[in-house]
Amino acid sequence: MIRALKLEWLKIRNYRTFWILVGMYSIALIIICFGGTFFLEYLKNQGADFDGIDPTILPIYDFPDIWQNITYLATFLKVLIAFIVIISITNDQTYNTLRQNIIDGISKREFILGKLLLIGSLALISTFFLFVSGLINGALYSHVWGASFIFDELEFIFAYWYDIVVFCTLAMLLSLIIKKAGFVIIALTLYTLMFEPIASVTMTEAPFMKEGIWPHIVPFLPIHALNDLIPVPFPKYIFREIEDNIPVSSLIISTAWLGIYLIGIQFILTRRDLKA
Amino acid sequence: MTNILEIKGLSKNYGKLKAVQNLNLTIQKGQVYGILGPNGSGKTTTLGMILDVVAPSGGTYSWFEGMAPIAARKQIGAILETPCFYPYLTAVQNLRITAHIKETPFSRIDTVIEQVGLTERKNDKFKTYSLGMKQRLSIAAALLADPPVLILDEPTNGLDPQGIAEIRTLIREIAANGKTILLASHLLDEVQKVCNYFCVLRKGVKLHEGSVDDILGDTNEIEISASNMDELKEHLSAFEGIDSIQTEVNQLVLKAKDGVTSEQVNKYCFDKGITLKKVVTRTKSLEQEFLKILEEK
Repeated sequence: MIRALKLEWLKIRNYRTFWILVGMYSIALIIICFGGTFFLEYLKNQGADFDGIDPTILPIYDFPDIWQNITYLATFLKVLIAFIVIISITNDQTYNTLRQNIIDGISKREFILGKLLLIGSLALISTFFLFVSGLINGALYSHVWGASFIFDELEFIFAYWYDIVVFCTLAMLLSLIIKKAGFVIIALTLYTLMFEPIASVTMTEAPFMKEGIWPHIVPFLPIHALNDLIPVPFPKYIFREIEDNIPVSSLIISTAWLGIYLIGIQFILTRRDLKA
Repeated sequence: MTNILEIKGLSKNYGKLKAVQNLNLTIQKGQVYGILGPNGSGKTTTLGMILDVVAPSGGTYSWFEGMAPIAARKQIGAILETPCFYPYLTAVQNLRITAHIKETPFSRIDTVIEQVGLTERKNDKFKTYSLGMKQRLSIAAALLADPPVLILDEPTNGLDPQGIAEIRTLIREIAANGKTILLASHLLDEVQKVCNYFCVLRKGVKLHEGSVDDILGDTNEIEISASNMDELKEHLSAFEGIDSIQTEVNQLVLKAKDGVTSEQVNKYCFDKGITLKKVVTRTKSLEQEFLKILEEK
């Protein structure tokens, strides 16, 4: 395991594109984690109010709500981690180094393992970063303190890690199928941000579909299930009931998709002849 | 002799195209074995199969008399076609990856870079290299683990004459150290100069296999010349040891009878009072033999 991961590390540690993406991701993550108060100030200046409440007093950084709030926002950045994964895998195909790695003495399984460990590690680093900045923000702004509050709802930290892992595994599968980084990025982004959301809305809202079985299919769609892992937290600030647990159904559906992606990856790579 | 590689009935089909058909090969320790064939004859496909990157449609192969394939590949230094490295990494950084896979200490890297003459450029990125330097780096990568077996696919492809000469010298040096080399090439000259055994592939079928010395050797043709060519020809027509005389520009070509050597021809002329300027026994070239093999089949 360590061997496979070290191989991936040797490939990226002197790769400028990788560090640029990491830098962009870190900056975006810092803005999301630490920018909450500034954003609420902005809302106030714009004259927004939440049923007559001054936005700046909303307790968004209170434990344990903070975990759901920041993980929900930070998952929007997972596409940047997916880009790193896509570039790492398409590089090995376009430079033919996947073939050379195998000729030099690893198995295709070891190659897959290395990439999966890369995904897991990137997700872990990001999750750790988010956890630490959650603690810092909580320490600064939370109105409550104490282990029972801090460590409550930490499951969202796990959900965050899992969300990145499943999404990046999908990115890996697409990279193996499509091979060209640009096309993979376009395909993944379009599907995630446009095709599936539009399809979901059509299935639940279109008059000719919403009476049938279609709306029941929506929760099973791959991106939809992932997004459901961390339910939207903010309606609670206008006194609406929200889900503040990981829905078991979406955890099961996401895991099923992860299994499908892994089988697909294994199937494609073991069947493929690596000829230039 | 221990078998390094044994191939039995190996085949590969791409749809209707039969890239390799029922190939049998045995390569023994210490051989410099050339796989000779025109472009598209199945050389690279064959190497791809024995290196586990192309799945065979049929047949088997075994390395080192049955070693597990992944362990075997760590004992083999191989390059297939073009050099494959990470363009954004330097030579040293690229070789670290190879060394990591082959479980070789990083200290070997400087040694092999020195061996292929890239020391001055070792910290430059791979993408800044000329084709010759890329080719040399891939040989360095193949040599990295000091493997007992080297597989080289068109190692001099795209090099200038000096580069070609350097690489061939390098290969001969490596072979002289007792390593087994499997070399695929479409260049007859290369196989003739570097290899001691060879086979000929065409359209995925093995047409011929044998030792290079057997097929090369001397012919029965002797080229001679002297200052007075007319006198020479006159005297030689009386010599019983030859079948025919052919006149070429500035020389005569004699077809000697079996057992008659250039030495005897020289002595005959000397006895007749003619000093020869040149006596050369013609040798066979692989090119002629190759064309003959292709014609026969």
